Amino acid sequence: MLATSAQRLPDKEALVHGSQRLSYSEVDRSVNALAHGLQSAGLQRGERIGIFLEPSIAQALSLFAASKAASVFVPVNHLLFPEQVAHIMRDCRMKALITTKSRLADLAGVLSEVPSLSFVVVVGEGDTPAVPIPVYSFETFAAASADCVRDQSIGKDLAAILYTSGSTGKPKGVMLTHSQVMAGSSIVSTYLEITDSERILSILPFSFDAGLNQLMTAFQRSGTLVMMTFTFARQIVEMLAKEEVTGLAGVPTLWSLLAQPQSGLHNTPLPHLRYITNTGGAMPQTVLATLRKALPTTRIFLMYGLTEAFRSTYLPPEELDRRPTSMGRAIPDTEILVVNEHGQPCKPGEVGELVHRGPTVSLGYWGQPDLTARVLRPHPFIAPELQDGEKVCYSGDLVKTDEEGFLYFVGRRDTMIKSSGYRISPTEVEEVLYQSGYVRTAAVIGVPDEVLGQRIKAFVVSRNGGPQEPERLIAFCGEKVPHHMVPKSIEYLDELPMTSSGKVDYPTLRRREGL
Amino acid sequence: MDNTPIRHSTKQFILEHFPASRRRSLDDTDPLLESGVIDSTGVLDLVTFIETEFKVTVDDEELTPDNFQNIAAIAAYVENKQNGRA
Repeated sequence: MLATSAQRLPDKEALVHGSQRLSYSEVDRSVNALAHGLQSAGLQRGERIGIFLEPSIAQALSLFAASKAASVFVPVNHLLFPEQVAHIMRDCRMKALITTKSRLADLAGVLSEVPSLSFVVVVGEGDTPAVPIPVYSFETFAAASADCVRDQSIGKDLAAILYTSGSTGKPKGVMLTHSQVMAGSSIVSTYLEITDSERILSILPFSFDAGLNQLMTAFQRSGTLVMMTFTFARQIVEMLAKEEVTGLAGVPTLWSLLAQPQSGLHNTPLPHLRYITNTGGAMPQTVLATLRKALPTTRIFLMYGLTEAFRSTYLPPEELDRRPTSMGRAIPDTEILVVNEHGQPCKPGEVGELVHRGPTVSLGYWGQPDLTARVLRPHPFIAPELQDGEKVCYSGDLVKTDEEGFLYFVGRRDTMIKSSGYRISPTEVEEVLYQSGYVRTAAVIGVPDEVLGQRIKAFVVSRNGGPQEPERLIAFCGEKVPHHMVPKSIEYLDELPMTSSGKVDYPTLRRREGL
Repeated sequence: MDNTPIRHSTKQFILEHFPASRRRSLDDTDPLLESGVIDSTGVLDLVTFIETEFKVTVDDEELTPDNFQNIAAIAAYVENKQNGRA
């Protein structure tokens, strides 16, 4: 894909970050050199390499170099703390890691927990922290003159593992093959009509399926990917104007920030912005209305996807007026079923689970065959003789359709929380609350929030009738887990409601919140 | 003018409201934004704090990383505002 774009349009701008600009031929050359370096350091086909970098040119190059070296890339969100990174490294038996020197210094204390890790590649200036395994320089690798690295991978090979949370336990690694990643970008570029004149602004992390998909669509169609990090929504608006961006993908939190007056969106002409896409949760209707007014010529695509099936549905912009709350219909070459609890297809208006069939269904969770078998199952309505082992993805998302087959999101079948585009497992947050030593029992739910989609609310029973100190608990969580996993509010109860089988009664807690 | 009091109360606010800042010692020149200590929703709380605590109005155009990148930058920005220079 990269080599094709490099041959077709060698001088075309491929990646932009700040003042750095790389053409396709430059990207191709660096990726090849990096892949060669990784292989000579001992990285072999199918081995996992973590990429723990902030959004940067080096981050994008690393993903392609890992693929070129026939290894499996594992993008790690740059906001994670060392403990969470260590879980990912251990879980996938990571062989190598590409990171910065300061991040490596942060990780030094947990590296002993990852015996599989045999070398590190560091980006940037400064002192290299002392670690007991070889450390190579990213810049030296990328600048080396290297023979062309032969592509060993085929479509069926694993390309990436994306870590995501469910309703219980620690994050799990969703496995995607090259074919699945490529099918995802072909399908999305088809309905977004992406061409080589596209300039796509990348804000979503590559550890998130939609963020990775943006990079892949840009490169598959020989477009340009502009990368940035932001603190203020104004910076995004300024970047959209400066780089003449044509396409932007975001999660509801981003759109809420952009819809606020201080973003400057409403008084900045953006004639180049051809489309925007929302994913990772429903866009609030007030926000949607503001965006439509501020961006009268921009097409707005509401999309839905889950990591386990990469990308799933979209609402064509021309349907926005008629059904602004819909998540649309199946993406091309994909079948979306709505199945009720008896395993039968739902009638319009009837709530059931969204089941996804198509070329982007993942291979399931790394090292978790039982969990995988619960999510990826045989097609419920096709004769076994015709299935050839094909699996469809049971999303856990409850939806319904209207008479014309457009889908509407209703809720989750389980207790998983979705906040600012992140999937958050209640048990993972509850575990941190327990670690504090201040609580006897804890239960965490998501409550609606205009900006975040859902925010985390914790119900706790204090230990031995101890003092009720919500600030102290929240502060404890903030030191243990990234911001998006910290409860926004804590309510003390005398007892948690329990079901007859002795489990926490989450529905009762949700009803307390009027949900 | 010495802006130590501004630095001090800004630091207190950050330590209280952004627990990630307590994972290691927080100096006045430590990066707050790119390190992920303060994210895009959290920074709005910081702006509200600055406006009420120091009686200044943060203009939209002043919402830039340069003004908020670390405690020293915030204090310098606030001091300029109070002196009517920004």
